[in-house]
Amino acid sequence: MLTQTSLNRILYGSRGFRIRVPISSCTLAAGAGEVYRKVIKVVEEHGVDAEVYRVGCTGLCFMDPWIELAREGLPPAIYGNVKTEQIEHIIKNYSEGDLSEATAVRFKTGSGGPPALEEVDFWRYQVRYVSRNCGLVDPESIYDYIETGGYLGLKKALYMKQEEVIEVIKTSGLRGRGGAGFPTWLKWKIAYEQKNDVKYVICNGDEGDPGAFMNRLLAESDPHRVLEGLIIAGYAVGATRGIIFVRAEKPLMADRLEKAVEDARKLGFLGKNILSSNFNFDVEVYRSAGAFVCGEETALIAAIEGRSRPRQRPPYPATHGLWGRPTVINNVETLAHVATIFQTGVEEFVKHGTEKSRGTKMFCVTGAVKRTGVYEVPIGTKIKTLVFDLAGGSIEGRKVKAVQIGGPSGGCIPAELMDLEMDYESLQSYGAIMGSGGLVVIDDSNCMVDVAKFFTSFTLAESCGKCLPCRVGMRHLSDLLERLTSGEASLEDIEVAQELGESIARSSLCALGGTAPNPILSTLRYFKDEYVEHVVNRRCPAKVCAKLVKYSVDPALCRGCTQCARVCQVGAISGSPGEVHRINYDICIKCGQCLIACPFGAIKKV
Amino acid sequence: MVKVYVNGVEVEVPPGVPIIEAVEKAGYRVPVLCYLNDFFSEATCRLCVVLVNGRVVPACKFPVSDGAKIVTESRELDTYRRMNFQLLLSTHRIKCWSCLRKTSCSLLDLSKQLNLGEFPVCSECPLTGDDCLVAKGEPCLGPLTAAGCSAECTRNGVPCLGCRGYIEDPELWRDSMRDLYEKHGVDGEKLEAAAKFFWSFLPGELKKIISEVSRDK
Repeated sequence: MLTQTSLNRILYGSRGFRIRVPISSCTLAAGAGEVYRKVIKVVEEHGVDAEVYRVGCTGLCFMDPWIELAREGLPPAIYGNVKTEQIEHIIKNYSEGDLSEATAVRFKTGSGGPPALEEVDFWRYQVRYVSRNCGLVDPESIYDYIETGGYLGLKKALYMKQEEVIEVIKTSGLRGRGGAGFPTWLKWKIAYEQKNDVKYVICNGDEGDPGAFMNRLLAESDPHRVLEGLIIAGYAVGATRGIIFVRAEKPLMADRLEKAVEDARKLGFLGKNILSSNFNFDVEVYRSAGAFVCGEETALIAAIEGRSRPRQRPPYPATHGLWGRPTVINNVETLAHVATIFQTGVEEFVKHGTEKSRGTKMFCVTGAVKRTGVYEVPIGTKIKTLVFDLAGGSIEGRKVKAVQIGGPSGGCIPAELMDLEMDYESLQSYGAIMGSGGLVVIDDSNCMVDVAKFFTSFTLAESCGKCLPCRVGMRHLSDLLERLTSGEASLEDIEVAQELGESIARSSLCALGGTAPNPILSTLRYFKDEYVEHVVNRRCPAKVCAKLVKYSVDPALCRGCTQCARVCQVGAISGSPGEVHRINYDICIKCGQCLIACPFGAIKKV
Repeated sequence: MVKVYVNGVEVEVPPGVPIIEAVEKAGYRVPVLCYLNDFFSEATCRLCVVLVNGRVVPACKFPVSDGAKIVTESRELDTYRRMNFQLLLSTHRIKCWSCLRKTSCSLLDLSKQLNLGEFPVCSECPLTGDDCLVAKGEPCLGPLTAAGCSAECTRNGVPCLGCRGYIEDPELWRDSMRDLYEKHGVDGEKLEAAAKFFWSFLPGELKKIISEVSRDK
């Protein structure tokens, strides 16, 4: 557990003044690299006695890049959306004790000033259990991790018998955070009971869903927690080798995990006789060119073996996995949970969650919301809390229409069901899946048929092509949606889509095919009227499907400024200055440039 | 040995064998395509799906478990099999007239078993190569007509008149025109005359294609 002295040491550092700058893939994209260099420059130039400290990301993407200033005697203050030119000003003001410009402070001393993290909406409903270190410690320093209580869980586990370790996870009720929610202890137990001299544990860090990045965030901000969980899993099942499977497209994640493995090996948390026990274990980081299908465990194993297709289960990997040996595959988040459970005890873990699914889960909220980011909430939290309270709801003037949960293989939950408490079973019964936990918020400017088309084209491209229903069926579904969005489909086609989708879902080989038609099936379930509208009236209610919309000029508003005619690439707009312009529909390619260009709002989508 | 129930019939099989062996032992049949005894069982065609304790699984790969209740025929399974077979056919370009496998074609057998999919009369016609009536310049409508008549007419040297109805597959119409009628120089007027027999039943596009051949000659 994190004691007050340790926390102070982490917060303020040895020099009593720490400036945290998040360095991870997401913040770097938002410009944290520049901020980092600028902070160092300012600190040097002004002779501020501060340590510039690199941390991982907290998951509050909407305020990237942020910095946190912490000096002993002052509450640590977080500044969001920092620009390089503000930094000098921020550091000067903070040093003088003026916190008024901070977005939030980590804890409050006295009244007034910026709100504490516990008081702001994007933090209040969160339970930072597994992401506790994210944004707090240097991900590349093993000592800082140990300071926060790291590798204590491993030590505890190594004092237990293997059965006892599995029993601890059983009493915690931890379920796989990768999507299906299979009880973790059962997987371990089956592998443990196998008589085999070589066993493997694999950490699945593939994470291929568009709009989900909690695994990357966790492994980039706190790689040692994942590694510790993997070592405990290895000990529990009696494995000799662990593999961390990372996408090569996430280089920083792989680099940090590799660094973590190296450091852990140096300090004796990996290798022979770990912590003076007779447990030998080593870990390798495996980089693979990403394929969405590798999220499926048999395909992941095949990818390590050099092929890339799933196979029919059973035999399950727990009995017949990598190179034919018993193999346990756990998600990054599951393993981080394992480490945290052993560090803080089961009681802390079971405090949150529902009867059937204990603990917390990280969710990525993206799409049409004010505050995109990664939020860790107890399982069983309402969708409403996540979308409206934490993420701030839709952008001004828009209305949330649906939430796509579980990525491309999940389903759309309509706005009317926002009161739904999210756990594995409830989501499944409403046609979505928990998946890795990506929530894409869709507002009323989106056409649901178009949304289904987008996700279908994704799974179609990612289908490995092994089994017939997924390979050919998804192609037909995609063609069908193409016809629907061009207004060429008939009502029968909607029924065919339903029947074909159900057939693919039930008769496919792996989970990818089994869930690939979910976007279509769930939109058909909740938004059938939009499909019918596309067919019967050949109209797209949200005015998204290009072939079904028409641009027209409102004569009352047009002043004849010729802006639209000038931007039109195909010369479809005619009219001389001062006159009402006209669009020639035979030539118009519906690119929408005129709509953007018109300063008077005279061009309308019909 | 484990006991399983195939459609209620109790059979004993060695543990771990695929369900299909238990099904066969019980005297039932499931359609199979990609499964080749001992050589290939990757469960890719998904035509052999059966229900095991309510779960849809491929019979060729899924191992038996003690007391498993296997159902081989149901409306649901039939839908999946038909659907998957149709998906397979949608990727298959039918050219039975020049296909070497037409006497030993698994697809043809399956289409009969599932009562699905239409193949041309050529698939049943024993005349191949130079013996083919079209190759001899006869206006045989076999390539455009649905099979099922055992090709009685062409077998006896009489060109097909298309009494069983045309096949609804524009790709096949064009293929047969190019591969057969035009290549062998069948007289377009003769062909049109033969097609006139059931002319009013033909769809517009097919009529157009036939008329074009006729006009070109």
